[in-house]
Amino acid sequence: MKEKITLTLILFVIALGLALFSGCAEKKAVVSEGTTQEQAPTPAAKEAAPQEEVTLQDINFDFDKSNIRPDARVIMKANADMLLKNKNYNIIIEGHCDERGTAEYNMALGERRAQEAKKYFINLGVDASRMKTISYGEERPLDPGSNEDAWAKNRRAHFVIIE
Amino acid sequence: MIFSLLIPLILQNNANAKIYIDIDSPSFQQFPIAICDFNNISNDAAQTSDLGIVLADEIKFYLSMTGIFNILNKKSFLEKIEAGNAEAIEKIYFPDWVLIGADYLVRGNITQEGKQIIADCRLFDVTRSERLMSKKYNFIDSSKKEVAKNIASDILLTLTGDEGDFHTKIAFVSKKRSVSDVHIIDYDGSNQKKITSHQSLIMSPRWSPNGKLLAFTSFKDGSPKVFIRNMETGIERKVTFFDGLNLCGSFSPDGKKLLLTLSKEGLENIYYLDIETLKLKRLTHNYSIDVSPTWSPDGTKIAFVSNRSGSPQIYVMDANGNNVRRITFEGNYNTSPSWSPRGNRIAYEGSIYGKYQIFSVDHEGNNLLQLTFDNADNESPSWSPSGRQIVYSSRSATRNRLCIMNANGLNMRILHEAMNPSVMPVWSPRFKQ
Repeated sequence: MKEKITLTLILFVIALGLALFSGCAEKKAVVSEGTTQEQAPTPAAKEAAPQEEVTLQDINFDFDKSNIRPDARVIMKANADMLLKNKNYNIIIEGHCDERGTAEYNMALGERRAQEAKKYFINLGVDASRMKTISYGEERPLDPGSNEDAWAKNRRAHFVIIE
Repeated sequence: MIFSLLIPLILQNNANAKIYIDIDSPSFQQFPIAICDFNNISNDAAQTSDLGIVLADEIKFYLSMTGIFNILNKKSFLEKIEAGNAEAIEKIYFPDWVLIGADYLVRGNITQEGKQIIADCRLFDVTRSERLMSKKYNFIDSSKKEVAKNIASDILLTLTGDEGDFHTKIAFVSKKRSVSDVHIIDYDGSNQKKITSHQSLIMSPRWSPNGKLLAFTSFKDGSPKVFIRNMETGIERKVTFFDGLNLCGSFSPDGKKLLLTLSKEGLENIYYLDIETLKLKRLTHNYSIDVSPTWSPDGTKIAFVSNRSGSPQIYVMDANGNNVRRITFEGNYNTSPSWSPRGNRIAYEGSIYGKYQIFSVDHEGNNLLQLTFDNADNESPSWSPSGRQIVYSSRSATRNRLCIMNANGLNMRILHEAMNPSVMPVWSPRFKQ
């Protein structure tokens, strides 16, 4: 992170543009899932002109599990390729849980999901120093519903692109 | 300042250290107690005629809160007290009280001179025809609720050997959309206050053993960090801010250490922090998630949640991290352990028939008890300082409550009910009067 401080203003504007773009993609995804849930404020969302699209797709988990599922491996590969192609960007990996279970345990489980995704990226060649993890536990659901569909969406790792 | 007016004038306790009520016995039933309106013996009694009734009602209110008394209806009383007669307090025809089923009897006189009020309170064992307590309380009208609380506390102390939980508070997290803050509320459900304003996500509040500090996790800086707040000055100190998860555990009984869950080494493991030096010691080294640590009251053991067996279960280890053993085996989701201040029981929440319910088990994993059974998610148990009551959050699709029940699961009362979810209640220690 420290070396990023020396980035030029131009790079900064480009980064902000990308950040906005990822924000838009995120919102679109929310709308297509038929919810109006407000997203948690991420460090990235700021106004700027859109640039080349760099988006990373969420992956989902089974209840009370943090292992990367077979369907998520395909997504993680595509995400890793995107990160390897765009080495200027760092990411924050957010781990989330569904509303069931204990908030405190879920906070740890969300962190473990983020850590597992981070490890998976490292194994695919992404530099560990480009990634930070954060858990929101069950506190920031994508879908506020209390049903299996909503829970399945909410058990996720979400990738926020920064600078 | 008000408290200084409550200094008891006389303390005669005929009960010595004898404990009259063993409320921990399995056959425990609520004890029937008759509480008479206090007899106003002032010269100008008309002025304060209601005070004796109000005071008796407040004492009943507080005693009923303990869950161990059956407060008899005063309409059933056979013996009437001669109004204004100071001697009537000790003139008791005990068979009349035995007849209506009272085991204990409370009587009192009130005298008022100007603003000063003196309540002379007596407690009797009806079946033994014996006086157990005689105590005078000096107060002013505006502090009668406080004095009723003290009388109830003294009655409880005389009968059970423990002063109860009257002088305690409960801290909890109130969630409003995506913002949550710590609130505190008195044991009687009054005096609710919001104490943090982080405009962020806050969780896992924990009292220090002397009640002067409150530790919690806050996302104020964008990610979860552990803060310790001085409850007197309101000053907050950020004590851990490592990469990843910084989740608050609990204070050691000596108040010098704080248990935590940190993921700074890539795994969510349990550490403790020396509060003075901010030095860390790692206690668990497992690949699993280890979270929600709670100290035993003697400081020698720690209960925590781990998913090392494949699902979250409660474990106990020695305070140095050795000798880990699993204590819950029923169900596939057991979390939020809270260690009773009276020793060997651990309360926790477990998933059963699709709901979360409160259970307790002893620290060796025996004598499992299910304490809640209703159609709600009952979570986050926390013991009262007396070890006789448990506060927990109870949520269903239609309501958000904080409830208090006896340690055996009976006599539930609602402490707090609100539109916004109230979660993670934690019981304070006793505050000095």
